[in-house]
Amino acid sequence: MSDDAVSVPFDVYRFQPGKDAAPRYQRYTLELSPHTPVLTALLRIRDEVDPTLGLRYSCRSAICGSCAMQINSKSRLACETQVGPELARHGRIVVEPMRNQPVLRDLVVDQNPFWREYRKIEPHLKLDPRRPMPEGKVNPMTPAQVDRFQETPRCIACAACYSACPAVEADTAFPGPMALAKLYRFVVDPRDQQTQDRLVRIQTEGLWVCLRCHLCTEACPKHVRPSERIRDLKELAVTAQGGTEHGSRHAVGFKENIRAAGTLNELKLVRQTFGPFGMLGQMMGGLRIWRKKPEVAHRPKPIEGIAELQKIYDALEPPEGKR
Amino acid sequence: MKLAYYPGCVAQSSGREVDLATRWVCRALDIELVDFPSFSCCGSGFLDEANEVLNVAINARNLAIAEKAGLDLLTVCSTCTGMLTLANLRLGDPSVRARVDGALHPLGIDYKGSVKVKHLLRVLTEDVGLAAIRSKVRRPLAGMQIGAFYGCHLLRPSDEMASESGEEPKSFEELLEALGATPVYYRGRVMCCGFPVQFVKPETASKLSGRQIVDAKEHGAHAMATPCPLCHISLDAYQRQAARAVGQPLDMPVFHLPQVVGLALGATPEEMGLGRHLVPTGPALAHLAPAK
Repeated sequence: MSDDAVSVPFDVYRFQPGKDAAPRYQRYTLELSPHTPVLTALLRIRDEVDPTLGLRYSCRSAICGSCAMQINSKSRLACETQVGPELARHGRIVVEPMRNQPVLRDLVVDQNPFWREYRKIEPHLKLDPRRPMPEGKVNPMTPAQVDRFQETPRCIACAACYSACPAVEADTAFPGPMALAKLYRFVVDPRDQQTQDRLVRIQTEGLWVCLRCHLCTEACPKHVRPSERIRDLKELAVTAQGGTEHGSRHAVGFKENIRAAGTLNELKLVRQTFGPFGMLGQMMGGLRIWRKKPEVAHRPKPIEGIAELQKIYDALEPPEGKR
Repeated sequence: MKLAYYPGCVAQSSGREVDLATRWVCRALDIELVDFPSFSCCGSGFLDEANEVLNVAINARNLAIAEKAGLDLLTVCSTCTGMLTLANLRLGDPSVRARVDGALHPLGIDYKGSVKVKHLLRVLTEDVGLAAIRSKVRRPLAGMQIGAFYGCHLLRPSDEMASESGEEPKSFEELLEALGATPVYYRGRVMCCGFPVQFVKPETASKLSGRQIVDAKEHGAHAMATPCPLCHISLDAYQRQAARAVGQPLDMPVFHLPQVVGLALGATPEEMGLGRHLVPTGPALAHLAPAK
């Protein structure tokens, strides 16, 4: 025991579905150096105090991605989260299983939902048999092309992003940050020959449910920055295909909306996204808002210098059909 | 203190009460606001999804307007804060910079990159300071339990916003304490309000806002308060839909950040535009301890 050892209270989630009526939190208090990883502490609990504690782990070096869990409500790898800062902030360490995946036992979750979404994006290069790789060229990519997806291969599939994601929590149509970040990697790979098909498919299979809340980027231990890769995917989809369904229509509509006056025309945006008939469905909620906030129906006055703004658009926004 | 005031689209239209309250609070705290009718929309995250470089460029134009006047920028919306801050950062990428300058230079706009983007929450907690605010409180919000609701873009990505923890912030709660209120800590305070998909998948948006409201309620909040007018739309204007999505009645009053500050500094509910909310704020104000 080092000299700087402190007393650390852990409240650990315990639950065996089928056996326990409800989950409970079990308190274990250990004397630990503040630099101790949470995983090391949990293994000490299991080995020295309570052999029934269930947890998943392997490498202890943030390489295998096995020990993701919630530590004081944040989705993290237990092996690279030290007890000191958590104790300083919260006075205790609450350890719970990852979210958005059913609990099998204690801290162990069933990762099938996560892997199912990953398999759905077909995470492999799709080549056209009629257009084989050039003879003798194993990797016909330039360094600049490789740079476009240098973050994504760092992913260790720990599912911390999936656990942290409120879109996964609220909407089963959302594939989750990791699957989309991986999809991005194949979409920008110049060797993949079904990029457009992939983009068409994902637009109707959850891409636009991403909330860009960036909680996945906070959780990711490997700095893949999934929320930014999802943003990149959205721009690739809109650039190649324009507004094809609600999400992309909204993004494209917003862009055109701002071009017109430099400031948002709220009512027009609803029409641009839902279309004139879909707009009717929004009427009831809209009327209630309008009664208190009549400005929603006002056409905004263009900003001063709107012509200048439109010239910026012209310089950076290729006209339709010239993409 | 003198700042370029960037109200953003919503505070100039359906969220006009934000503008009213901000101007009142800044007058009370001797913060001079300079208006620029040439400011455009920040792109609200949607333009970023459609064309990243265009989004940076229109915000570089906004920032250049403040730079020309030698002022830092005051924002009152989490999303505007995020977009303008990220524009500053992305201009550090030489390839983005080249394309943006290529569009701006022919118009005589040359943004050097000197403008700091500061949300009202940051100005109050970092520049004015909690001690100064505490000394100006005339009507402490004692008795009121308020759940802060930050809005994603004010916090994250935290390495880029570089202000405080992206998942465990505390500036807003500290401000609420300085105003005499009791802050309520709940998981939903840093979660998403659902606004980004309000017009894409309204039912998902309502489920999200509903969950955060229920979470605040279960932790004892009499009211919520947000520094983001977009979150306010989800939490207040669409609260009825949120209640339907989570299958329980909700009547959670939701204040804008400048409104709670104004009320504590002595403003009347009318001056704060509280009558413009869809969920009445009266029940929350009824928790206030009687004035001495």
